[in-house]
Amino acid sequence: MSRHWQLIKIFYGASIAVQLEYRVNFVVNLIGSLLTAIGSLFGLSILIAGGSSLGGWNQTEAIVVVGVFTLMEGFMGVFLYPNLNKIGEGVRTGSMDFTLLKPLDAQFLISSRDVNILRVADLLIGVGLIVYASLKLSSVQSPGILIAVLLILAGFASIYSIWFMLCTTAFWWVGVENITELFWGFFRAGQFPVTAFPGWGRILFTFVIPVAFITTVPAEALIGRGKLETAIGALGVAVLLLIVSRLFWKFALKNYTSASS
Amino acid sequence: MIEVANLEKHYTVNEKEPGIAGSLRSFFSRKTKTVKAVDGVSFKIAAGEMVGFLGANGAGKTTTLKMLAGLLHPTAGTAKVAGFTPFERRSSFLKTITLVMGQKQQLLWDLPASDSFLVNQAIYEIPDLEYRATMKEFTELLDLDGILKKQVRKLSLGERMKCELAAALLHRPKVLFLDEPTIGLDVNMQVRIREFVAAYNQRFNATVILTSHYMADVTALCKRIIVVDKGHIIFDGDLSALIERSSPAKIVKLELSKVIPREILESYAPVKSLDGLFAELLVPRLETSKIAGRLLSELPVADVTIEDPDIEEIIGQLFQSQTVKS
Repeated sequence: MSRHWQLIKIFYGASIAVQLEYRVNFVVNLIGSLLTAIGSLFGLSILIAGGSSLGGWNQTEAIVVVGVFTLMEGFMGVFLYPNLNKIGEGVRTGSMDFTLLKPLDAQFLISSRDVNILRVADLLIGVGLIVYASLKLSSVQSPGILIAVLLILAGFASIYSIWFMLCTTAFWWVGVENITELFWGFFRAGQFPVTAFPGWGRILFTFVIPVAFITTVPAEALIGRGKLETAIGALGVAVLLLIVSRLFWKFALKNYTSASS
Repeated sequence: MIEVANLEKHYTVNEKEPGIAGSLRSFFSRKTKTVKAVDGVSFKIAAGEMVGFLGANGAGKTTTLKMLAGLLHPTAGTAKVAGFTPFERRSSFLKTITLVMGQKQQLLWDLPASDSFLVNQAIYEIPDLEYRATMKEFTELLDLDGILKKQVRKLSLGERMKCELAAALLHRPKVLFLDEPTIGLDVNMQVRIREFVAAYNQRFNATVILTSHYMADVTALCKRIIVVDKGHIIFDGDLSALIERSSPAKIVKLELSKVIPREILESYAPVKSLDGLFAELLVPRLETSKIAGRLLSELPVADVTIEDPDIEEIIGQLFQSQTVKS
């Protein structure tokens, strides 16, 4: 395990060094992500000022959901996007060969090779929103916080697994960049409490695409509305997805055809 | 070290008619076809041996190498490399081998090569001491001084290839799969790379399989060659034996100091080509020195060289006849 941390440190160091290599690009990107962050804060302020309740959630509670959603978005932007979206390219160009030749678990290597520090702002904004709303809510208690942290980690695991599986389909279909767009599309639903959707939407986002487990459930736990069953359900979904994605990866490797030279 | 028996790899490929209409048709209904890239290949390679893999494009060389490196699952047959089954991809196996592909690169494009080396050091768990010793050795052999700190994107193709090789051999693998390691390089650089591979082979008693389009790579490094065509092995044996058997003639190249009619040249040996003052004669192998001596004394010759016929031609003939078996 400690070896893997060591490797992640080296990978991220190299990845950040690459980003710093192009100074202008880095600064432009930094400004870009700050502007995006400010833009989304403005959007949120409208939501906060609105004052209406959303599917049984008052506005402060809804902000917790938005906070968790933004945190998840940040997690994807910082850790997942720069890695997983390269799987398709790697299969298409054959650079995946080098990944598979390394004496390391290839899934680990693929998933931890790069990091995008420019999107760290999203992580911070997400945490900021959660803290801000929590301070205003008396219902937030320490056991709830602990469970919420656990559930957020489970949410990370779920998102990772789903996205990883989608990107792994590149082993058959090669060009799969748009599949992740599809995922983003659905994931956007996660910025609203799942109870705000009509019945079919609730079912869809709970059981078909488990967006509810990723954002609404941790938020519920935090504001002291969580139910034990749903918390266990969310953890179960995360573990199950991790296992399934692992098996799917093993299966995909057998079908790897490698781009010709 | 390497044992391959009846290895096969079949691919399913999509076929598409050219043009947009073809693309549309192929979008809705894909026509697929099974290609036997490798079709029943068997051979054995001993430790320390350097073997050249020859064949036209698409003959199955790269596919075979990729199966041996564990990248591809064979459709049928067995392969053993250093006692491992490659496609299980155990990490102890992966630490024993390396695959260098002249057309692809693993170095981080935007960083100096030394950064990529450090990443590989961590991945392969190379102890610091060994890493430094290897780096020192490679720096000398490949003349890496001064290019390790430059961003890879700023290196010339030759410099980059030297760094690619170093990165691929940092963990001192015992088995090297080199797929066109000198492609696109100038002659000097090709020689350099060749010398390095030979030195590495000597130093670590490494087993090497080499594919190359430059016959000079193969003739310089490999005593034994395996020729593949359409997924089959059509020759496996000594390079010099192949040359002698399939081409009984040597080429005597003459630079004349005045124009000589073709008939006169024909009286010595069959003329392969005649272009002004330059002539090439096909001289029977056993009579080479005798005829060359006569040419020199009887004709106004400014310069003479004696060569084996182009090995690519020999291989070409081999593909056509497909009768040679060893």
